[in-house]
Amino acid sequence: MMRSSVRDPMLAAVPSLRAFAISLCGNVDRADDLVQETLLRAMANIDSFQPGTNMSAWLFTILRNLFRSEYRKRRREVEDTEGAYAESLKSHPEQHSRVEFDEFRAALAKLPPDQREALILVGASGFSYEEAAAICCCAVGTIKSRVHRARTRLSDLLSIEGTDDFGPDHATRAILSAGGRG
Amino acid sequence: MHTDVQVRRPRGRLSLEDQRRIGDMLQRVYDEVVRQGVPDRFKDLLDQFDHPKNVGEAQARSTQGPAKGHHEPDRLVGAKASDNKGSRS
Repeated sequence: MMRSSVRDPMLAAVPSLRAFAISLCGNVDRADDLVQETLLRAMANIDSFQPGTNMSAWLFTILRNLFRSEYRKRRREVEDTEGAYAESLKSHPEQHSRVEFDEFRAALAKLPPDQREALILVGASGFSYEEAAAICCCAVGTIKSRVHRARTRLSDLLSIEGTDDFGPDHATRAILSAGGRG
Repeated sequence: MHTDVQVRRPRGRLSLEDQRRIGDMLQRVYDEVVRQGVPDRFKDLLDQFDHPKNVGEAQARSTQGPAKGHHEPDRLVGAKASDNKGSRS
């Protein structure tokens, strides 16, 4: 049975779960379905959660397993990661850094899923290498390697393609470079 | 002010500056979602946790939110409790 003592930690984990799910799915609606399914699964299996352990890591593990068992196939059917990712996050931070922001997100979407997942768990979700390894059911060294390759790849993508390969952003960049007129 | 993302350098080790820049951007992309908080559909769902009988009802409600056109309530309700740990991975 659910207890109020687990409701609050679950609620607190939702924003981060969504961010992780969006990075996996590349689509907000699907990500929210995935989060919902994760919460239902957690609720049904709450007795297997050990009090005192990391609720957030437990939920991330469930979410990732659900994604890998169900959502990955679907995503392959609709391989529009970049477009969907861009579409999924329409609001932007301050104007002057928008180009960089969009370019980064596009580059992030190009990473192999395993690398992106590891990078986000460690670099954004705030998990330790050990926790990320537990969530991904792999060795700590594997996570470290994936994170390293992800960073290197991102840096390559941004430096090599930053100027020419981002279509509309190129025009935006030109406008911004011209001093923001128009 | 325009912050250029270009970092011309040969392949190989990342400079600390590159690592910091990537880390900052990653955090911004992530936090943009985190800042959206908890959508009502999840609050509704979690509100039912103390009343398990109502969970099905909460699911039905939470899949009928505005601007959501393609949800599949049957699939969500059909979520099984038997394979929490997953069999692959």
